[in-house]
Amino acid sequence: MKTGTVLIGLGNPLLRDEGIGVHLERALAASHAKKTSGLGSSSYPQPVEFLDLGTASFRVLHAIAGKARALFIDCALMEEAPGTLRRFTLDEVRTRKSLPQLSLHEGDLLHTLDLAQKIEECPPTVVIFGIQPEDISPGEALSPALTASFAEYVRAIEEEINFRNQ
Amino acid sequence: MSKKSINIQHVTRIEGHGNIVVNAGDGHIEKVEWQVPEAPRLFEAMILGRSWEDLQTIVSRICGICSISHSLACIKGIEAAMDIVVSEQTDKLRLLAHYSEQLQSHVLHIGYLVAPDLLGAKSVVPLVETHFDLVRLVIKLHRQANAWSDLLAGRTTHPLTFKPGGFSKVPAEASLRDLHAGLTNLIPDLKTLSSVLLSLADKLPTFERETEYVALRQADTYTFYHGHIGSSDATETVPLNRFETVVNEYISPQSTAKWARWHRESYAVGALARFNLNSAYLSPLAQEVAHAFGLRGKLTNPYLNTIVQLVECAHIVETSLALLDSLLTAGVQPETPNVQPRAGEGVGCVEAPRGILFHRYAFNAQGICTAANLVIPTNQNHGNIQKDFETLIPQIIDRDEEEIKLWLEMLVRSYDPCVSCSTHYLNVEFV
Repeated sequence: MKTGTVLIGLGNPLLRDEGIGVHLERALAASHAKKTSGLGSSSYPQPVEFLDLGTASFRVLHAIAGKARALFIDCALMEEAPGTLRRFTLDEVRTRKSLPQLSLHEGDLLHTLDLAQKIEECPPTVVIFGIQPEDISPGEALSPALTASFAEYVRAIEEEINFRNQ
Repeated sequence: MSKKSINIQHVTRIEGHGNIVVNAGDGHIEKVEWQVPEAPRLFEAMILGRSWEDLQTIVSRICGICSISHSLACIKGIEAAMDIVVSEQTDKLRLLAHYSEQLQSHVLHIGYLVAPDLLGAKSVVPLVETHFDLVRLVIKLHRQANAWSDLLAGRTTHPLTFKPGGFSKVPAEASLRDLHAGLTNLIPDLKTLSSVLLSLADKLPTFERETEYVALRQADTYTFYHGHIGSSDATETVPLNRFETVVNEYISPQSTAKWARWHRESYAVGALARFNLNSAYLSPLAQEVAHAFGLRGKLTNPYLNTIVQLVECAHIVETSLALLDSLLTAGVQPETPNVQPRAGEGVGCVEAPRGILFHRYAFNAQGICTAANLVIPTNQNHGNIQKDFETLIPQIIDRDEEEIKLWLEMLVRSYDPCVSCSTHYLNVEFV
């Protein structure tokens, strides 16, 4: 039986907005730890696991196995204004990435989730939060657009975490 | 000869892949190029001015697949620069973690990247329909290797526990006993994978090119972690702190990455290089697998890199079981690294899954990084891929274009170049 929620941040925090998934995962994990500290396990009947998987998209397959719900946060090219956050499910998008299969280092979350579905290890609920980048050049700081909206992203994703988790 | 123009282009500067360009006709080959258009990553500049305590967490982001290798090369470089000596226990635990990444990477390469070629599929996904048991087997092996990395490194990717001088947290003995049981259970699975690959090995192209191979060498050891730099073209080894005299990096107009050469115009690193220099020291099961595939002497078919990775999987599991026995017999002791920074310069080197990896750092008295030079395996292989192409194309140019394209792509896949590993972003359209 699939149980619990895993929240996975993806991306590289050394390429500015490319790492927004990792930045948000850290912030959400810290906030969640603070809020649940001292609470009994009955307050959160569905445990939440927070993971920074960086750019290792193949490892997603193992991290979501056995979970009832998987939430992903990643930088996403969506033809939106920089800083836009969109929540979507797998049936609402298709990938525009062409994987030449020349190297294991090519990564596409949707490709990995397709494999997970085919081997029946995909959680019944998968939600992806995509954030349109402004700047993915080398550097550690997020762009002004994403920095300005960071608190709003945290709030929106926390709502999703708490949904059906109370 | 018919006119042929093969262009396998995947130009995206941020998530740069390699491009294959072949133009031929009128009885001659006009152009054969392995192009690497990826954007510079600038990691060496990024770590200047950073503290020795931060470097490992930064450089582990160079690659999502080889993050343990980069972390270990970095830490060994820091320790060499600051004359830090680690305990035998730390050395063994690091090697154990290093092996876990080799198994993870090799299994992925065999199962997700090469098996589809051998089975006539575009990727691993359609294999679920046609070869479900094989896909499940590969996922099981990869999952066990991931859990192994989690235990030693603190998480599967981008290690947390590795520190200059030791570990921030050592694994409990009970966990190491569980790992021993898990690895023991993998041996029948590896034998099954070996049987499957053996039944498909005739699908690998037959192509030989006399090549220089470069890897670590250590006395009486099939080494991934210690030793000096060896070459199939040299009897003497080169100390790690002189690695720049080995790689001789240069600029190629068809690449944004630097290329390398030593005794010849190019050389190869990776599993095939390790095998060619050190196969006498493989474990018994690894020798058995190598024998089953008829691997002996110096191998010069680059497509065999995948088969040698399978041999290495057997070696890694067997050798790790012995390492675990040794650690558990001695008992695992808590360790607290206590390091004071000092000025110095040093080189760290390991065999990453794709080949020998060098990190050089210099620090001032406060432990601030003042210089860095990182040379990754893929950059050392780019020139060799080009030379393979130049020899292979004339041999196959009269074949069907789709077959030529497949052979060239399979050749690149056998090296599994790390050309897009530091980024990940989604690119989606809403339906």
